[in-house]
Order: sequence, then structure tokens, then C-alpha cells
Amino acid sequence: MSNEHTVKSYEEELQYLKDSVIQMGSLTEAQLSDSMDAVIKVDKDSTDKIIQSDEKVNKFRSKIDTQIMTLLVKRAPMAIDLRETISALKISQDLERIGDLSKSNAKKVKPLPLDLPEELLGNLKRLGDLVTKQLNDVLDSYVNQNYDKAKEVWKKDEQVDDLTFIAMNSVIDFLSKDKKNLDFSTHLIFVTKNLERAGDHITNIAEIICYLIKGEYLKGHRPKGKETEV
Amino acid sequence: MNEIKIKSKNLNVFYGEKQALFDVNLDLNEKEVTALIGPSGCGKSTFIRCINRMNDVIDICKVSGSIEMDGIDINDKNLDVVSLRERVGMVFQKPNPFPKSIYDNVSYGPNIHGKGETKSELDEIVENSLKKAALWEEVKDRLDEPGTSLSGGQQQRLCIARAISVNPEVILMDEPCSALDPIATAKIEELIDELKKTYTIVIVTHSMAQAVRVSQKTGFFHLGKLIEVGKTEKIFKNPDNKMTQDYITGRFG
Repeated sequence: MSNEHTVKSYEEELQYLKDSVIQMGSLTEAQLSDSMDAVIKVDKDSTDKIIQSDEKVNKFRSKIDTQIMTLLVKRAPMAIDLRETISALKISQDLERIGDLSKSNAKKVKPLPLDLPEELLGNLKRLGDLVTKQLNDVLDSYVNQNYDKAKEVWKKDEQVDDLTFIAMNSVIDFLSKDKKNLDFSTHLIFVTKNLERAGDHITNIAEIICYLIKGEYLKGHRPKGKETEV
Repeated sequence: MNEIKIKSKNLNVFYGEKQALFDVNLDLNEKEVTALIGPSGCGKSTFIRCINRMNDVIDICKVSGSIEMDGIDINDKNLDVVSLRERVGMVFQKPNPFPKSIYDNVSYGPNIHGKGETKSELDEIVENSLKKAALWEEVKDRLDEPGTSLSGGQQQRLCIARAISVNPEVILMDEPCSALDPIATAKIEELIDELKKTYTIVIVTHSMAQAVRVSQKTGFFHLGKLIEVGKTEKIFKNPDNKMTQDYITGRFG
């Protein structure tokens, strides 16, 4: 018994859909990583490009939507194919939201001063690096259909919450030192919160991948870190 | 889950040397629709033909194992096969009305089973059966016309009316919509949904989408074996068996 569809074009359409999600994922990953670089280096020249790249991510989302509508109408997918199709729809939604959050972070760079405290930047960088790594890992687990890796990402959201807590506290420290820092701090609070929300979207994607592979939802509550205490 | 109406235990069917079913163990729940799917020649039609002993008419056919209806073995030699077929009606792939009037098509069964002794009793059975088969409104003014004058979809509903006219407990449907257009198919599916409130229904279908739409339980047959059976939703979203998945996703070579 073969693993390929009897209808070759169906096989190709599913592969094309999967490829589109992977490409959209790479684009989102670059957008997230570039936006964090811009924040940490307070690189005001790179932000326009990052903001513009959100258009590309959005276009991917529309393209994937169209592919999915066509697949549903043409093939009425069942079982693993149905899960593959619905997962692509849901993952692309989460990726688009991560793109929006990266764009939002890039927009926060221009008003920032160039002399932000190193400790604050260090804490933000650690959070940004972890979220970027989480996105990279979750996309890897999608490409390789690796259930354990997706579950690992899901569990690690706790660490994202913990680092959010630490970064948020450094922003609050910075604010409390001088009221003149209020404007910048508000932007940095948004940056921190956006990263934490990007982490939640990555956790969503990890859950979707687990469902895609095993056909059942992960049991138990999502791991929660300290972020909720902020 | 509803009570078990029919239980097959280690059912084996042979047509001469050729074994058509291998140790089939399948429970059919009362007032539910069970869909049987699988490639042509996999044994699904053979299975439903065992439920009303249609295979009795084939000399070379031998059946071992058992099928119980309400706990009683239907293959028992003392069991009257005519009364079994009164309890288990059947609808076939191609509508096959008798070359008689619409009225006579429906009254034929009650007549031979000694139901509806007076004309008014028979009228009532015909009317009720046609109503249950969602055909009454379309034919009430032309009951004397031949059954064959109806459209394909109407003929199939006439055959369903004929099957339910003797008040069976189980209705077997062997690809009942394969010769019908989408609108006639939708009407039959709507009807199946209504009929399951009263009858236990088994439907053989080649349409996965139809199995998902009409049934609560689905069994997948391959080469005479029941490969997997379970809740329809589970079978079509996340089957346990790889063969089932390959079949329903179109990966069967």
C-alpha cells in the first residue's frame, strides 16, 4: 500500500500548501528577529524595511487562505489531510499575528533614546532571543512532523513568561528612576508585552502541530510562568 | 450509545471456494445509522446481505459464525426467513419499483404479510409509508400511475416507502444514492436522518462524504475483513488504522 495519493495533483496541492506555510514561517521568523535587532541596537534606519515586510507576510496569509478554500472545495480532505489543511489555516493565522507584533515592535524603535541601560537591553534581548528560538523550533517541528519537539516548545512558554517578568521589571525600574523616561518606558512595555504575546501564538502553533500529528489535543493546562504576576 | 440491535460474531462467508468475509465481529446499534465503506469487492454488501439472509438464494454460499438480532441467531434453521425479511427491509443501488402502480408498490408487502386486511387499513398504511418516505405530497394525486413513471429519486423513495410499509425494525441500504442526482441524494439523506428515529439503518456507500453526513458509526472493510469500526467522526478525523486512513484519504493504490 502506497503513502501517496492516487491523485497526484492532490498530493502536489497538499505539499504546495505545506511549503507556503513554511515560507511564511521563515519570513515571519526573519521579521521577528530583525525587529528585535532593531530594538536592541536602537537601529532606526532598519525599521521601515521591517514594517514593509509585514505586507509580504499578509500576502502569504491571503495566498494560503485561497489554497485552503480550493483544497476544501476540490478534495473534501479527510483524516490526516483534513488535519493538515485546517492546521495550515490556523498556523498561518498565528504567523500573521506574530508578524503584526514584530511590525508593532519595529514601530516603537524610532522614539527610543540611544542610551538605554545595558541591563534593560540585555533582558529584552534574552526574551527576544528565546521567542525567536521558540519560533524557529516550532517551525522545525512542523517541517519534520516532530511531536516531541512541538511539545517541548509548548512547555518552554513558561520560560518566555519568566523572562517577560524579568524584562518588564527592568523597564519599570528604568521608569521609576526618572519620570522623564515615561514615554520610552511605555514603548518598551509594549515591546515586552508583544514578545510575550508572540510567545503565546507560538504555543498555539505548537498545540496545532501536536493535534496535526496525533489527532488529539494536548491534555492539561498550558504551563504558566511569572509573567501573569506582572 | 444506543442498545445493540444486531451483533455479528466471527462471521465467515464463502461463495464456493472463495471466502468473502473473514471473522467479522460487528455490532449495529439500534436507531442509529451505520455506514459501511471500503473498495469494491471488500465484502460490505456481502455483510448486509447476511442480515436478511439474501445469501440463502445463492446455492454455493455458506455462512459460519452468527448474526444475532435482539439476541436471537437469525441463521437458526427454525427461524422463518419470510418473517425475518419483514423485520429487515432492503433498498438497493438502483431503484427497482415493481411494474405496478405507486399504490400497489407500497401495498404489496403488507398484502403478502397479511397486514391491512381492509381497503381503508391498507390505504392508511400506503399513505403513512409514503409520508414517512417523504413522497406523499408528490404522488398523492396519482397513486394509480406506474411506479416506473416517477423520477429516479422519487422511485428510490418509493422503494423506501415499500420497505417501511411492513413496519420493519432494520433497513439495509446498498448504495441507495449512487444512481441519483445531488438533489435527490440530499432528499434521501434527509430522509435517512428522519428514519433513524424509528429504524436501525445500515448503509453501504462509496461516498465518504455521505458516510460522514448520514452515519453515527462507520466500519471499513478490506478484502473481506472488517479493518476498523468506530464513531464516524473519529474514523474520518483520526482513524486508528493506517489502511483506513489510506482508503479515506485516497491513498489506496
